[in-house]
Amino acid sequence: MIEALFHDGKSSQQRNVLIYADPPGHLRVIGDGVDIGYTLAEVRPSARIGNTRRHLRFADGSHCETEDNDAIDRIFSDVRATKFDGLLHRWESRIGYVIFALVLAAGALWAGLTYGIPALAKQVAFSLSPATDRMLGQEALAGLDKVFLRPSQLPPERQAGLRALFAEITTSVPGAADYRLELRTSKAIGANALALPAGIVVVTDPLVELAKNDHELTAVLAHEIGHLAQRHALRSVLHNSASALVIVAVTGDLGSLVSVTAAFPTLLVNLKYSRDFEREADDFAYDYLKRRGIPTESLNAILLRLEKKTGASRDVPDYLSSHPPVRERAERSRVTR
Amino acid sequence: MNSILQDLYERIGLPRNASREDIEQACLRLADKYRPDLHPGDPVAAAKFAQIEAAYATLTEPTRRTAYDKQFSHADTPVAGDLRRSEHLSFTGTANEYFRIWIVNLALSILTLGIYSAWAKVRRKKYFYGNTLLNDAAFEYIADPKAILKGRLIVVTTFVVLSLLEKFSGTNLFWIVYLGVLPYVVIKAGRFNATNSAFRNVRFRFGIGFPPQTGWSRRYIAGYNKTSQFLILPLILVPLSLGLLYPYYVYRKRQFILEHSAYGMTPFAFDAHPGAFYFAYFKAALLFLLFLAGSVVTIGIGALPLYILFAAHRDAAVGRLSWKHASLGDLRFNCHWRTWDLFKLHLLNSLAIIFTLGLMVPWAAIRTARYELQGLSIGPIDAVDGFVAAAQEQVSATGGEAGELLGFDFGL
Repeated sequence: MIEALFHDGKSSQQRNVLIYADPPGHLRVIGDGVDIGYTLAEVRPSARIGNTRRHLRFADGSHCETEDNDAIDRIFSDVRATKFDGLLHRWESRIGYVIFALVLAAGALWAGLTYGIPALAKQVAFSLSPATDRMLGQEALAGLDKVFLRPSQLPPERQAGLRALFAEITTSVPGAADYRLELRTSKAIGANALALPAGIVVVTDPLVELAKNDHELTAVLAHEIGHLAQRHALRSVLHNSASALVIVAVTGDLGSLVSVTAAFPTLLVNLKYSRDFEREADDFAYDYLKRRGIPTESLNAILLRLEKKTGASRDVPDYLSSHPPVRERAERSRVTR
Repeated sequence: MNSILQDLYERIGLPRNASREDIEQACLRLADKYRPDLHPGDPVAAAKFAQIEAAYATLTEPTRRTAYDKQFSHADTPVAGDLRRSEHLSFTGTANEYFRIWIVNLALSILTLGIYSAWAKVRRKKYFYGNTLLNDAAFEYIADPKAILKGRLIVVTTFVVLSLLEKFSGTNLFWIVYLGVLPYVVIKAGRFNATNSAFRNVRFRFGIGFPPQTGWSRRYIAGYNKTSQFLILPLILVPLSLGLLYPYYVYRKRQFILEHSAYGMTPFAFDAHPGAFYFAYFKAALLFLLFLAGSVVTIGIGALPLYILFAAHRDAAVGRLSWKHASLGDLRFNCHWRTWDLFKLHLLNSLAIIFTLGLMVPWAAIRTARYELQGLSIGPIDAVDGFVAAAQEQVSATGGEAGELLGFDFGL
């Protein structure tokens, strides 16, 4: 005997009924003004989901609502249509299986975010024509010129020298023939170098003045050209949209309000990608320096001086930083050597 | 466990404060009336007898009776205002149970490369609907996962084809199709969600006019006229008016959704005034300015709590306003959300999710549903009995999935 609510499907009227599973293969629904018999083939039970109420849908459009989930399971234990739902419910009920699902999901997410997305983005970025990368950056320099950057104040012969250093690198890198160097100065961004996806490297005057010798400048230029040659701009667009998609899929069933929260893990993941790109660009630079017989310490020296000068990233924890710590980068140069 | 049968006191015809002796006597008298040996083979009498037995077992045993009485102490408290005999929705989902469902959904969705996500969505919605109770009956979500999967495949294919075509032809094809298809999508999304939601075996409905006008073209044109307010207002007029028309847009959207929704044959009605929306958004705008200023002053540290404060105030005010002015036949709704409660709820949710790297998402979803649903009341509650169901119609999920992608979710 199962206690249930009966709704006839024609109106919202509610009746209290009892369901008898007798004789076997039949159900009899009895209550206030209701006395109907059904064969089991005329009844469709809803899936068991946690402890929510089950609904028995009858062929005549009426239904019963009950909390007695175990009784329903017993009656329909032989019906094939409910097997799959029963399997899911058993998976959800056993703590061991739940932990297995957790490990599986966490492992797949971690692997996807750290290996899957970067590998996929790299594949896609290099299979698209370089023009796609360029499209991202075409307006960038014009925009920066308007807001932050002013023309360089360096003497013309110094500028020519820098361009020569730049050309020396680009001629040795395949596909870099049309990269160009733009010299600027800026109060807002100080000593800095930028790689714009349109094949443009911007170096500011304060950075040039910070360098003790041309080796250090070559190292910085090689690092920026590394960003360009490895299509970091396009790859980072791909990374960021793919990781946002994954994170929204995980946290998706929250209201609009809490989805702000999803922005934070997305930011962490994107910062990690950014640090990986810096390492890649460093490796590119170290590799070039070695080939030219320039000591790899040149890059470390100017990075260290830059960090001291700007005082940036000293109090920021590593995982919240867009660049790896200089100490780590210096060690890396020793390993790659 | 909460018995969903007729109230035990009602069964034996006694008030709640009846003495134990009275209860015993009433039970014995009724049991005698329906004695099985006096009514051999009569199932109705057997059912009555079983009900009396259950009442006797619970009400004559002091601890069980106290536990039983407790369940009703909150449901029967009258709500302030003119809503006599109104009842709050209740929500019985638990974080523990939903965590298990959520993680199995997630694992299977990953393993099947997203195909299972349609089944996962149905399972999740069934869990939340099934745990939402009004006057002791549960809501029900009845969508077919296969329909949702089909809908998603159509939507994704359309998007991919469109963006490829756009790339090669260099036109703004996407926007042209968006504007042309949006009314269809909005109406289909509403219909799919509504028709797959039911309460007491009566489905909700959504459509242009009741009964919907027949013929594809008439429905489409009527739909286009009705929904154009969502195209012209947000895309062109709201930015042109520097956002001044935004509260009016929200008002029209709520009005549109409610006035085209129905429970069975009975349509919803909406009698709010746009001025009230302006008032609510004006206060929310002040909090938004506080968020902007506060974020700058605290160098970003205050951004999250201040944003949540703004959003909590906006959601509470707009929610109260929208529900208070909604009605369904003789039923009226009321909403008791408060800024401060929503602020605490969402701040704690956000912090928990951030510091557990998302593991507390199910916990947050359950808490949010509980607060929001239990803050809604409906009355007079005995009017819930009198709604007539409509003949059923089949609706495909394509519009529903496209609508979700474009940010039109109808939460009724």
